[in-house]
Amino acid sequence: MIEAKGLTKRYGRTHAAHDVTFTAAPGRVTGFLGLNGSGKTTTLRMLLGLTRPTSGEALIEGRRYRDLQDPLRQVGAVLEQGLMHPGQTGRGHLRTQALLCGAGRERGEELLEYVGLADAAGQRTGDYSLGMRQRLAVATALLGEPSILVLDEPANGLDPSGMAWLRGLLRAHADAGGTVLISSHLLSELELLIDDVVIIAGGQVRLNAPLAAVAGDQAGHLRVRGRDPNALWQAFEQAGAEVTTDGEVLFVTGIGPEDAGEIALHAGIAIYELTAEQPSLEQTFLDLAGAA
Amino acid sequence: MIAVLRSELHRTLTIPSSWLSMGLAVVMGMSFALFSVEFWSLFVALGVFGIAVVITSQHYQHRTAVLLFLGQPRRLLALAAQCVCAILLGLVVAVVSGVTTIISREFEQFTGTLAATPLLAVFGVASATVIRRPVALFIAYGTWFVFAEGLAFRFKQPLPFTTFMSAAGGNPKGLLFFSGYAVAALVAAAWFIRRDLADQ
Repeated sequence: MIEAKGLTKRYGRTHAAHDVTFTAAPGRVTGFLGLNGSGKTTTLRMLLGLTRPTSGEALIEGRRYRDLQDPLRQVGAVLEQGLMHPGQTGRGHLRTQALLCGAGRERGEELLEYVGLADAAGQRTGDYSLGMRQRLAVATALLGEPSILVLDEPANGLDPSGMAWLRGLLRAHADAGGTVLISSHLLSELELLIDDVVIIAGGQVRLNAPLAAVAGDQAGHLRVRGRDPNALWQAFEQAGAEVTTDGEVLFVTGIGPEDAGEIALHAGIAIYELTAEQPSLEQTFLDLAGAA
Repeated sequence: MIAVLRSELHRTLTIPSSWLSMGLAVVMGMSFALFSVEFWSLFVALGVFGIAVVITSQHYQHRTAVLLFLGQPRRLLALAAQCVCAILLGLVVAVVSGVTTIISREFEQFTGTLAATPLLAVFGVASATVIRRPVALFIAYGTWFVFAEGLAFRFKQPLPFTTFMSAAGGNPKGLLFFSGYAVAALVAAAWFIRRDLADQ
């Protein structure tokens, strides 16, 4: 369990984060969404004890990060697109980190295999692609077999198969009872993965809810194209719907797709397109972020 | 702290540039020992100081300090481990480069420099913790050394680098004064290590 309680970070008169409060629960993947400069990374750093909050507190399993008995056994973190010395080999990097968290040599080898870097383990990390560095960063986070994973933009640099691999890994971790807190600007990717969503903009939390509730709260609309848009418009309005248009397509709210089809049939107007559209997480995010 | 120390030693010894700087310090020390043991002391001291600065500042330069502090969030313990790591590596460099000094039976000079080595290493680690950018640190210290201690005070006053050189030569008074500077630097480092790690 991760708890952010009124986290505030001020640099002079600028609030990088203001009264940030949310929870990431075990068994769930929590998406932490924010545009660049929204306070997302600052918040994650405060959670991990890398940045001192001006006020508020960040708790992991009820304790501050610095008070954890064996932090790397409890929390795995992927930050800043792979932190490693460019002169060290992938294997050397993992071994260094394994010594820090008390993991054995075989655990490092196992993870190199798991993240698909076994063949590149002897290469200097400075020669790694961004995707390879991200994979090594994920392996580093998993070294201590932690129950909590905190990942800041982990999908950066991963190709589509790498992203699918990461999604599977994080989903399996949460399904096994682990806690996953993941930030990303690849909103469409997060939408496929997360259970809960926290949206931060201008240093403040704008939304904190289960993803299903976010989708349910947002009213969808129908996208309709037909032979006679004006006649369709009138028919829908007479049935109690609200209609807007962009000049080519009618956007209809207040009735379902079945009703719309029946109304068009009854009016004798051919329909070329009838699509039920739900606002995506991306749209919700952009609306909230834009309002900041 | 043992885990951090083992990790730091492993990291340092698996980075080619660390071997390069240690090798360079050994070769310089051995070479100058052929001319004078005082030169050996001076170059070993500079080597130990430089190695301590490099292995510490690399963490900030390549952002691996984040990993270090995630593994050991009690930063004073991380600092202590870094100091011990630099001391051990410094002693190895001093002993290996001092072989020629031992062969020429300059035992007093050798033991004096060896006694100063831990202080030099601690001073280097502490300095790099306060000034996280190695280039800025070397420029600042070099400027101070040349203009303040050299030109203004002609290396006559017990200032940091004057006592640094004196301590490296095994001078007990220099060692005593330099201990004070090393402790002061360590206290400053203990305060400054609490700073946030800035973004990339």
